[in-house]
Amino acid sequence: MTSLPPSPPDDSAELLDLLESMWLIRAFEEKVSELYARGRIKGLLHLGIGQEGVAVGAASRVGGDDVVFGGHRAHAHALAKGADPERLLAELAGRSTGYCAGKGGSMHISAPEVGFVTATGIVAGNIPLALGAAYASVVGDRGIVAMAFFGDGAGQAGQFHESLNIASLWNLPLVLVCENNGYAEFTPLSAHTRVERLAIHAATYGIPASTIDGNDVLAVRAAVGEAVQRARAGGGPTFVEALTYRLRGHYEGDPAKYRELSELSDWKARDPIARYTGALVDRGTLDADGTAVDRIERNARERVERAAESALAGPIPKPSDLLTNVYASEPA
Amino acid sequence: MSELRTIDAIRAALDEALASDKAVCILGEDVTVGGPFGATKGLVERYGDWRIRNTPISEGTVVGLAAGAAAVGLRPIVEVMFVDFITLAMDQLVNHAAKLHYMSGGQIRVPLTIRIQGGAVGAMGAHHSQSLEAWFLHVPGLKVVAPSTPADAKALLLAAIRDDDPVLFLEHRGLYWSRGEVPDDPADAVPTGGAVTRRTGTDATIVSWSRMAHSAEEAAVVLRTDGIDVEVIDLRWLAPLDIEAVLASVRKTHHLVIAHEAVERGGVGAEIAATVAASAREELRGPVTRVGAPFAPVPASAELEALFVPSVEAIVQAVRRSVGRPAAAVG
Amino acid sequence: MSPRLRSSELVGQLRTMIRIRRFEEALIQLSESQDVGHFHVYVGQEATGVPALALLQPGDVAYSTHRNHGHLIARGVDPARMMAEILGKATGTNKGKGGTLHLASNEHGFPTTSSSVGGPLPIAVGSGYAFRELGLDRVSVCLFGDGALEEGAWHEAINIAAVWSLPVIFLCENNSLEALGQKANEYPSSTLAAQRLTDLVRPFKVPATAIDGADVRAVHREMGRAVRRARRGAGPTFIEAWTVRWAGSRPIWPQLVTGETDVAYAWDDTAIPPDHAEWFGRQDGLLRYVRDLLAAGRVTRADVVAIDREARAEMAAAVRFALDSPYPAPEEALEDMYA
Repeated sequence: MTSLPPSPPDDSAELLDLLESMWLIRAFEEKVSELYARGRIKGLLHLGIGQEGVAVGAASRVGGDDVVFGGHRAHAHALAKGADPERLLAELAGRSTGYCAGKGGSMHISAPEVGFVTATGIVAGNIPLALGAAYASVVGDRGIVAMAFFGDGAGQAGQFHESLNIASLWNLPLVLVCENNGYAEFTPLSAHTRVERLAIHAATYGIPASTIDGNDVLAVRAAVGEAVQRARAGGGPTFVEALTYRLRGHYEGDPAKYRELSELSDWKARDPIARYTGALVDRGTLDADGTAVDRIERNARERVERAAESALAGPIPKPSDLLTNVYASEPA
Repeated sequence: MSELRTIDAIRAALDEALASDKAVCILGEDVTVGGPFGATKGLVERYGDWRIRNTPISEGTVVGLAAGAAAVGLRPIVEVMFVDFITLAMDQLVNHAAKLHYMSGGQIRVPLTIRIQGGAVGAMGAHHSQSLEAWFLHVPGLKVVAPSTPADAKALLLAAIRDDDPVLFLEHRGLYWSRGEVPDDPADAVPTGGAVTRRTGTDATIVSWSRMAHSAEEAAVVLRTDGIDVEVIDLRWLAPLDIEAVLASVRKTHHLVIAHEAVERGGVGAEIAATVAASAREELRGPVTRVGAPFAPVPASAELEALFVPSVEAIVQAVRRSVGRPAAAVG
Repeated sequence: MSPRLRSSELVGQLRTMIRIRRFEEALIQLSESQDVGHFHVYVGQEATGVPALALLQPGDVAYSTHRNHGHLIARGVDPARMMAEILGKATGTNKGKGGTLHLASNEHGFPTTSSSVGGPLPIAVGSGYAFRELGLDRVSVCLFGDGALEEGAWHEAINIAAVWSLPVIFLCENNSLEALGQKANEYPSSTLAAQRLTDLVRPFKVPATAIDGADVRAVHREMGRAVRRARRGAGPTFIEAWTVRWAGSRPIWPQLVTGETDVAYAWDDTAIPPDHAEWFGRQDGLLRYVRDLLAAGRVTRADVVAIDREARAEMAAAVRFALDSPYPAPEEALEDMYA
């Protein structure tokens, strides 16, 4: 395999964009958590707090025409891909102004205009869909890359295995990003499989794979950047396993008693936002006095606050909306 | 006009679709060598092995792949070798393909066609012989069509491919080798919407589809000799179901029999019967009767399989009971 | 080479292999004169299934696929009842309800046979789970082909068998090879993106070996290890046994492309038809085994001929039994729906 040209060095504006994007996600998810606790949002919400580094690092390397497919914990991926927080929050709140007119909800977000095709409530269910988009790119000569985000729980699903096989056999432009946070719902990965690192499955099918620190947003960006380049150059799929941790329960309301508090505090110390902030300060991109950081956080929270206000003021779907869009068309 | 076997009419439709729209592609096991019945024979030479794509035995992922490709603009056709294997793809079919349009609030379309063959013929046993259309009709978002003639096979397959929703195209392998007249000119193609009245009559209506539609017509011939004039409706589309055609017929004949090869219990006949009973109660002069297979997996033994499939005689008897003229003297 | 077993056991296995061969040939011949439905034959793979399944005890279970005839005969199922089942007769192993694709004999350790590719894998794992939960010293063997490894069900099955350390043996009969052995870097299958089938197993930390499925000693050795591991609670094992696919299995309907096997081919090269010199001379595991046993002095030519004569007579009688048996009565179609 020929070596890929190195990525151009990141400039300060791009580096700050990453931080802003991570803060937007953090602010959004925390707002959602608060609204849920107050009964303003209903449903089953899986938040990505603590995993922002993966979403942002990965999404920063895909372009406008590329497509992304998420799982049940997909708010971060949709936002990182450019989804509008207000329309996203409206969707979570079941408003007809939401991305899916209130029909999809948290686990089925769809924002195709920014390249986020769909999320899914079925573990590993999005991987074949992303595979299909990659196939479509080859058949239609579109030159786009498809990306699938999924967790460590997906590694045991039959669809996962079948998808890796086909992606490799057909050399498809697919980037598989596995957020290994060590838990599939309430169970540690080790109880689900003897495999410790899912990247090994990719190796079985001859797919280039790496396991990286998912809480290092630049490491994610570098690994995914290489994967995207490879896909665009016709080099086929890549598997990036990003080790990370969810700082909240599997879903809002899950007290997560199945994990040790010491484990939680260890990972809090490796919070991706705090680490990246520190790295930017060390680099000189951010002032050590913290005013720039505070401003970024404040902007994010204000933006989310405005989005929440507008979103919650949005209209509730009409009863007749129940039956719309079951089909795209009537038969000829 | 050409006289074609059903399998050839299907191939002709696939060829036409592939030629007219670059977004059309076919995925399935062994499709580059025609598949087990030859439906895709010769297509890879014309369209290449990306558009005619052999897949591993991974029905779940292949249906999902097709849904994902459809979601970003392709128009894929998946060939699932036997309807019984759709079970491996139920998650992608039911949870994803059928629901993406709705869940996205109308943003995503899944113009996917899944061609499946089934039916109890050839003594292949319980995993190769089912009729599962009742499952699919039950899922909002899926369309289901089951042609009974070569001309319908061609026209309806083209319609299914061009439809922007996921469509299950149910083929009966017992009909693959049957011949029929098929218009050559697309302009002369049979109308693709709704049901078709195969035979007009005044005394009773038989509603059927797929291979059983032929049995229904045979039953009508038998009944004619008894002076019972039967109307036969071939539904073709099971979802959306042309209930208006059924109701219009019932208003005329006042007696309804529904015949299908699928197991009678919980079959599509139950849906039709309940709808007609609710909408046309005053029109009915006899109970709505269903003729379907017994509630059992399809047995392998050829003799048992032959008994499993509802017979022409069973349909005849059902009509006779419905019109209140039980079996005439045997002669 | 033959396993280190008593002559009586070795000859017993030879007898079983010849019986399987004659059964399949008789079935193919029958199918030439009447419609027996679609079926799959085990010709050329006898040398794998027989020694492998000979290591099982009563109470152990095995799950097979559409290519199951050899497996059932190997564990002692009556060929006459199998033939009857294939013809859909009431005297069949499944009372005519299953047919060739679903032959089952619970008393012989074949609870069911599935014909959807990959279908038996989760079921076999389930039996293994039950044996462990019930504290039974039994093993569950899953017999499948290379195609099954494409199915998601395979991945889920091996993962669970491994993480729960279940007494399951995954015996993959890879008959996709065009010639003996694999060339370097050649995929074992055109539809599977792994260098070797055994690569699929390694992430799960399950011992995996690939052997020549026509090498009876290797089959015996590896299967023996696997059975011992399973019984002592050390978890699952994966064995890939590769064989050359018999030419008569290549058309969709099996045909006696290479003619009836003549056991004399094992010692008389001149009798081998030139068209099938490779097959009978080198590739057919049954004849290789005859040659092995002859060379080791475990059996004589006369023995082999006598065994073969008995086998032919047995299978001819099986066919007659099947043809003479009645079909099930119509009402039997609804029997055995529920327990």
